Amino acid sequence: MAKVKKSTGIAIAAVLALAVVAGGLIQMSSGGSSKGGTITYLTHSEAWTHADPNRNYTGQHIAWFGSYMHRTLTAYARAEGAAGSDVVADLATDTGRSSNGNKTWEFTLRDGVSFEDGTAITCEDIKYGVSRTFATDVITDGPTYAIGMLDIPSAEDGSSVYKGPYATSGNDTAAYDKAVTCSADNKTITFNLKRAVGDFNYTTTYLSFSPVPKAMDKGDAYDMAPVSSGPYKIEKYKSKDEMVLVRNTNWDKKSDPIRNAYPDRIVVRFGLAEEVRDQLVLNDSEKNSMSLDAVLPTNLPTVFDDAGNPKAAFAERALNVYDPYVTYSAVNVKKLPCLDIRKAIYYARDYAGLIQLGGGAAFGGDPADGVIKPLMGLDYAKVTGLDEFKPEGNPEAAKKYMDAAKTACPDVYAKATDPKRGIYFDFADTDTNKKAAAIWIDSMKKNAGITMKFNYIEAGSYYAVVLDQTKQGDLSRAGWAPDWANASTVIPELFTETGGFPMSQNWGDPAYKAFKEKSDAALAEPDRKKQGKMWAELNQYVMDQMWVIPGVFSKTQEIWGSGLGGVFFWEPQGAPSFGDIFIK
Amino acid sequence: MFAYISRRLAVSFFILLAASFAVYVIFAFLPFDPAALTCGKNCNDPGIIEANRRRLGYDLPFFTQYFLFLKGLFFGRTFGEGAALINCPAPSLGYSFQQHACVTNLIGEALPVTFSLAIGAIVMWLALGIGLGILAARFRGRIVDRLSTIFVLIGTSLPTFLTGLLLLVFVVIRWGLIPFPSGNYTSFFENPFEWAQILFLPWLTLAFAYAALYTRFVRSSVIDTSNEDYIRTARAKGLSEGVILGKHTLRAALAPIATMAGLDFAGLLGGAILTESVFNLPGLGRLAISAVTKYDLPIIVATTLLAAFIVVIMNLIVDILYAYIDPRVRVA
Repeated sequence: MAKVKKSTGIAIAAVLALAVVAGGLIQMSSGGSSKGGTITYLTHSEAWTHADPNRNYTGQHIAWFGSYMHRTLTAYARAEGAAGSDVVADLATDTGRSSNGNKTWEFTLRDGVSFEDGTAITCEDIKYGVSRTFATDVITDGPTYAIGMLDIPSAEDGSSVYKGPYATSGNDTAAYDKAVTCSADNKTITFNLKRAVGDFNYTTTYLSFSPVPKAMDKGDAYDMAPVSSGPYKIEKYKSKDEMVLVRNTNWDKKSDPIRNAYPDRIVVRFGLAEEVRDQLVLNDSEKNSMSLDAVLPTNLPTVFDDAGNPKAAFAERALNVYDPYVTYSAVNVKKLPCLDIRKAIYYARDYAGLIQLGGGAAFGGDPADGVIKPLMGLDYAKVTGLDEFKPEGNPEAAKKYMDAAKTACPDVYAKATDPKRGIYFDFADTDTNKKAAAIWIDSMKKNAGITMKFNYIEAGSYYAVVLDQTKQGDLSRAGWAPDWANASTVIPELFTETGGFPMSQNWGDPAYKAFKEKSDAALAEPDRKKQGKMWAELNQYVMDQMWVIPGVFSKTQEIWGSGLGGVFFWEPQGAPSFGDIFIK
Repeated sequence: MFAYISRRLAVSFFILLAASFAVYVIFAFLPFDPAALTCGKNCNDPGIIEANRRRLGYDLPFFTQYFLFLKGLFFGRTFGEGAALINCPAPSLGYSFQQHACVTNLIGEALPVTFSLAIGAIVMWLALGIGLGILAARFRGRIVDRLSTIFVLIGTSLPTFLTGLLLLVFVVIRWGLIPFPSGNYTSFFENPFEWAQILFLPWLTLAFAYAALYTRFVRSSVIDTSNEDYIRTARAKGLSEGVILGKHTLRAALAPIATMAGLDFAGLLGGAILTESVFNLPGLGRLAISAVTKYDLPIIVATTLLAAFIVVIMNLIVDILYAYIDPRVRVA
């Protein structure tokens, strides 16, 4: 017995020694970074809004899934600052070849690219993936650029004649097959567009241009079990619990120049109480962890000084940077068809109180004067006509517009001032938002006599609810970042009826027709300088009509544990470059 | 007894049927459109909403929808078409497009979590509450009684979310007395130690709140029973205080506790929403509250029905137990 124990002990010692040697090899540094270990992400959300590549739309989700699981034809360069907005080839061999006056785009797939089961990725897999975008009744929430751009006719009701791969009747699959074609060797995909799109290769950075294996597609249920084409695959994914990614052994680094795949394992812990999530990182209890959510304002002074710079203890594990987002409160113009009331809301708001709640200007950002951020360069011009704006609220201006509303739109005025009815504001259900609601209620009542009420919606499903036009309140809190460096991904998306994020429901407004015509003209304008000027004018138009109450040109704060390295802010996605994070 | 249980089960079946109908009626007349809700954030096309309505069967008359729901319980249901066809086998409670799963599967995953939470918590609070209540009654007016009063005051004043948050932030994060659990829930059959480690603080949180109430209740019940004539007779016959307490007082004093514990247990099985939220336990309470905030109708209907089912069954069990605990009560 003792002999057995001794031999077992020797065996264990040998295994441990091997493990140490192997561990040393795994930890071997390459350019300051190292491989191995488990990175843990912490979040208050109960699950990812979507894990299906066709349904990923927010920058953070695209950055995360694009770093770890889903590859697409092109991607943003993994670099800090403006260099991060350069497009590089991903699954494709180059960033695409255009012809026919930018109406035809071709991409050829690299050799050696495969799904997690080792099956080679072909043109047909990309084509099938893109086709899912058209199944708008099943594949919800994703970007719909493919529908708007591909040369597929529309039905009488304006919808595409192609309804995606699931429809069993009344579906014009031939139209799709004509718009998207594959070469004989199944390696080159060609997109035929209905209009010239000079930057279509920016559009293909979206994960909705990822490959999806037809045999594994289960429609809606694919959201919980998507197939990986990147360096990691799902081992476990359970809502309100966790997601665990492990290495995809069929991923070949030689076929993927842009992903590093540093950790061995990636865990996402869902549903943590906000304070618990922050404390775990602040106390460095979980050294290899990173929060996926905004830091609670009450915890900001622990991490940053008054100027917003990380304190010495957090110098290596916190960021405070301008993100690409503009926050705003979308006015549901259908429910508030009264410009004077909308202006009264803008001037009555206690902006200073709200920004202070977010930790002050050092953390919240600067007052926005529209939906286009100065970072957009060509497309931005300072909005005029907002001179009466005062950070603490301007009761005189607010009352002036309320008085005007009394005669101009008595119905809306009556609703806004009736304590039993009031104006309903959609808010994501978070502790911070509830405090913000108190500031709104107080400043509206005090400065304009408006009764404001709140509809709290679970944070994870907030947008899914407010973008349902039957459910949206009078005002809805929102934020938007350009999909790429052109306000063509801002103005038409937010303010035209066919846009992807039309929360202002402004197409019934008498001012809409002229706006739409100018927006269409800007989209078709080939001169980028002229186009930029047109976007700036349209931004002014939006503010003249007060289709949104602008919030801030926002900043974001990220915190992580001391065990992580390689974190930088990936500007085009407005999120950390997750794929570059490693364990020190 | 067999006839009694059979009768009660039959009545329970009709109660559940009525509850399911009531829940269906309520949701049928709520002012929102379930078809639009499954349509997603970019969905502003009435054609898509109508297609969704057909796919989910919301275009059918109310009674047909209700019949299909009942039929699904026994024969299963399918939703959608083509490659996107979803099959939810019997007993099907529908499909959640928010959670991308059959509701029965979601309930099946959440129920063991809530059951684990409730069973540990009830053991803790009964042990603490009954023990402290008896001590407080036995030593009425003395230091133990006063300490129990303080415990009751704190326990009933502190909301569970605060107790839970304080325990998590201080015991786990700041002081590191218990490691932060590596997962949100581990099954007892998978790893009993980890199961207990994850649930210990949630048990403590619930036990603290409930034990306080039970201490107060047991104390007054024991004191009341001690003043009964038959206790005085037992004392006059020269029985020891221990025998009087154990054999005579407690038997009568604890009978109402069974009812209270049964209903509290049923309530917890319906979902300890706050405790599950603070400790991130993926149980029924969180499933229900998440469904309510997302207007996820199939889950709301299912969790409401399940809660009704649990209450009905626990009532039945309590009634049967009552007869055993207190011989003066006989099953009618």
